[in-house]
Amino acid sequence: MTMAHLEYPKIRRAGRWFDVRRRKLGMWAYALNRITGIGLVVYLYLHLAVLSLLSRGPGSWDSFVSLARAPYFLTLDVILLAGILIHGLNGLRVTLTGFDVGVKAQKALFGVLMLVAVVALGAAALMIFGG
Amino acid sequence: MTMLEVSLQIFRYKAGEPPHYDTFTIQVADTAHVLDAIDIAWAVHDHSLTFRRACHHSSCGACALRIDGVEKLPCVTPITDVWDGHSPLRLDPLRNFPIVSDLVVDMSGFFQRMSASDLAITRHSEPLLPLTVDDLPAGVQLEPVEPPDNLPGFSRFESCIECGICMSACPTVAADDRFLGPAGLAAIYRARQETDDPQEAAHLLALADGEHGVWRCHSAFECTEACPQAVDPARKIMALRRELTAQRFKKRRRR
Repeated sequence: MTMAHLEYPKIRRAGRWFDVRRRKLGMWAYALNRITGIGLVVYLYLHLAVLSLLSRGPGSWDSFVSLARAPYFLTLDVILLAGILIHGLNGLRVTLTGFDVGVKAQKALFGVLMLVAVVALGAAALMIFGG
Repeated sequence: MTMLEVSLQIFRYKAGEPPHYDTFTIQVADTAHVLDAIDIAWAVHDHSLTFRRACHHSSCGACALRIDGVEKLPCVTPITDVWDGHSPLRLDPLRNFPIVSDLVVDMSGFFQRMSASDLAITRHSEPLLPLTVDDLPAGVQLEPVEPPDNLPGFSRFESCIECGICMSACPTVAADDRFLGPAGLAAIYRARQETDDPQEAAHLLALADGEHGVWRCHSAFECTEACPQAVDPARKIMALRRELTAQRFKKRRRR
């Protein structure tokens, strides 16, 4: 490539992972998997940071637990669960199609799996807030 | 035939200048294709506008670009199919390629990846001749054409026109410059189908199994959605994966 060519930096190009404008369902699935994947990695580190409170003794842990029972915190639990369900079930679609199973029906497969995710999330939300 | 007044918002880039968009308002027939509109913009407004075109009937793939963000062949895209009747029609070069000038991208890296499979340009399975034409005048006899000596069978080209549309549509190509990409992997699949030679098959599967091969695909299926020739590269990537997985299981069983 000569220097005169215009080439965008890789980080900017990676932004195309999330560009679903005028794209089809498979691209939405792709973007969702990345968003939820990044979200779950961030959660993992947050979780480890929270667990480190245990090393500071029962007092700091108990105050965190009372915070975790607050409704806005429970909403974060529902968001976390949404990420797990979407990423896990979408991952199932990626795995199946990756083995050449259901490739032609990948859109329907995604639709059904996301429906399962919504139903499971609804049930879980009822349990979280109802319990 | 009605004349339309269409605004084209075209991506512009010249070496050493910042990229920007220029808008050209043109008069074009409602039967025209997008490529005709670009031709008019070039002829009437700006001779420095660069774009590629050759066959004008979706055989060469040279004109591939993005129309309002979606990869298409403008030579076979009627303007009335993509223009909403009032907003400017935005034209961009293909994504994931270095931009040479305006709508022209550097395809050399793509062609190198396509040649990785060493895919023969003909296949044995679809012989073109002899012709059968029902409506020839009575008494006219068609002479079958003899295949050239250097080819075992005279066959048509593969459906893939190497337009690069799948590479532009694929989100994985965006962040992996060395990814063989949908077209490259589809070519490997096709070459794999053609060969019974175990050594050649092993070489092709090793290519597909590499760091920048089939496992990089994350099932967006945009390549298949965008392909103007119905090559269905995603299906071929998945078929390669299945073969590679089966091969690994067999190897483990043998141990």
